Amino acid sequence: MAEIGQSLLSGFASALKPIYLYYALLGTILGTITGVLPGLGPLGAMAILLSFTLTMDATGAMILFAGIYYGAMYGGSTTSILLNIPGEAASVVTCIDGYKMAQKGRAGAALTVSAVGSFIAGTISILGLTVVALFLADIALRFGPPEFLAIGVCGLILLVRLTGGSILQAFIMIFLGMALATVGVDFLTGIERFTYGVRELGQGIDFLPVAMGIFGIAEVLTTVEQKEFLQRVQKVKLSELLPTRREWKRSFPPMFRGSFLGFLIGLVPGPSPVIATFASYISEKRLSKNPEEFGQGAIEGVAGPEAANNAAVGGAYVPLFALGIPFTPAMAVVLGALMLHGLTPGPNLIKMKPDLFWAVIASMYIGNFMLVILNLPLVNVFVSILKVPKNILLPVIVLICLIGVYSVNASLLDLLVLAVFGFIGYALRGVGFHPAPLILAMVIGPMLETSLRQSLNIAGGNLGGVIFRPICLTLYIIASLTFVIPTVLKFIRKSHHSKHPKLNERTTDV
Amino acid sequence: MEGKSQQKEKITAIVLCGFSLFYFFSCWHLKLGTIKYPGPGFIPVVIGSLLLLCTTFYLMRVFGTKFSGRKTGDIAAEEGKNYQGIYGILACTTAYPFILEMLKFLLSTLMVAFFMLVLLKPQRPVFSFFLALGMAVASFLIFSRLLGVALPSGFLEELLFRIGR
Repeated sequence: MAEIGQSLLSGFASALKPIYLYYALLGTILGTITGVLPGLGPLGAMAILLSFTLTMDATGAMILFAGIYYGAMYGGSTTSILLNIPGEAASVVTCIDGYKMAQKGRAGAALTVSAVGSFIAGTISILGLTVVALFLADIALRFGPPEFLAIGVCGLILLVRLTGGSILQAFIMIFLGMALATVGVDFLTGIERFTYGVRELGQGIDFLPVAMGIFGIAEVLTTVEQKEFLQRVQKVKLSELLPTRREWKRSFPPMFRGSFLGFLIGLVPGPSPVIATFASYISEKRLSKNPEEFGQGAIEGVAGPEAANNAAVGGAYVPLFALGIPFTPAMAVVLGALMLHGLTPGPNLIKMKPDLFWAVIASMYIGNFMLVILNLPLVNVFVSILKVPKNILLPVIVLICLIGVYSVNASLLDLLVLAVFGFIGYALRGVGFHPAPLILAMVIGPMLETSLRQSLNIAGGNLGGVIFRPICLTLYIIASLTFVIPTVLKFIRKSHHSKHPKLNERTTDV
Repeated sequence: MEGKSQQKEKITAIVLCGFSLFYFFSCWHLKLGTIKYPGPGFIPVVIGSLLLLCTTFYLMRVFGTKFSGRKTGDIAAEEGKNYQGIYGILACTTAYPFILEMLKFLLSTLMVAFFMLVLLKPQRPVFSFFLALGMAVASFLIFSRLLGVALPSGFLEELLFRIGR
């Protein structure tokens, strides 16, 4: 424990350097702006800024991205409360009670509770990240290729279950992503695969133009769909920001519950901040003495979910730092940034680059503090960003995507890939496909292939030797159960309803 | 009558199935290896088979669904969409790599920005032109001067680079 404290102190010494403070500030401001703007989420912003990080060192890039991720969670809640517009998916739940509070003249209180809740959650989740990542990384050092294969497979299967929407569609996206990852020279034999004589494809399809196309360009196209452009903005006075004593008293327990719940959900693959907010809202409603207030402006409905989505961010960093496996698309972009700097995340990263790990952790604390200091007094400034007409904002985003992609490899093929995947992303979204599994599979794909081929080699071609290892088997069982349990429950519910149709009618009425 | 969303879903299913067929058959040109020493084609064959299986199921599901006719909400949503803007932005993004080498950075960026601005707000072409010019110059200065990115440069870029120095 003393060692952790000492490492954290050295992390602070590094993160408090002016340049890193600048990156943290820049990240939090950019993150808040992207959170405020509907359509452009943290993932899009991180993908767009990926090329910018080339001019920074790896620590700077990580600090910038952490700031963006946390900032987006803060910013998203501002528009949810003031305008009933969720800046990003994780703020949808905040609209329910946050906007009702704003209508009752308690917008300032809702914003403060949301900011303080986010700060508490951020701090708890960073503590959790520190302890769990170190513990997991220590264990992961003993993992071989079969274990990494099992973690990857289990992660993707859980992602399919938790992404929402059609399971079949999620599987299609995963296999598409993995298929894209096989393009290029085979790392073991040096044989070209699916390059069709295009020399540039030998290095494979770069992750950056695909991510920027699917999340950046596709997002722009989806936003262009709607014709109305200007937004009416509501003002909040500084004097209205302070909640009453009763409101504070009602907010603190949900904040802490949301923080723990959010962190735990953040460890699981999938859109964890979104799931965390819904889970927190439902649990707060169940625990509340006045559940009828939910939906009418209950402060617990703001405090819990806002804490949960921020805590999930810290949780999402655990598998990336400890195992080198991103469980959310945003973490895939962070992984991409690390790889651009020649670093391979995983258990060895914490051991080999402790300065980077601890500086990032320390910068998260600093970033969270900056967000509280910045966001409350500047809430009107951030909300007025919505006044920038979309017909100016969207071309700017497209240009940043185009030049950003070109600046990484100076490759015209990358620009074409960006355009193609912008269209693919837009088209697939239109028919209900979630793009996240494709991106994650594309990033995890090469690791899965390496692990599987190495595992088979080690086990002498015996598939049982790859699967029937204690950790692997446990993970495969967990993955299978996530499919079996919901199906069994569905079957039980169906048969129960068919046996008791009257009871069914009554429950529907309730 | 079939809704536009159902049509889109059918086209997507066909394209996905077509891609998986293409990928699946392309895999067989690669060496499979053995189960002990998997070759470069081993994983692609596994992925290709699973992808083909999933897309076939999806195709069957999409074509097997009965259509309940076009709802008024569906029609209104389709009519409200700014297709001109969507196709225009797509065209600009696709054209950019082709004109970038030819016209160099400033002109190509100016053209693309101008087209996008006009597409999204056709009423003010002169304002859009100057805004696009501002965007092109600002992005050149940020990326080239500030971030040191090597952008395709010609006479104009050299001139701007010297002025900005």
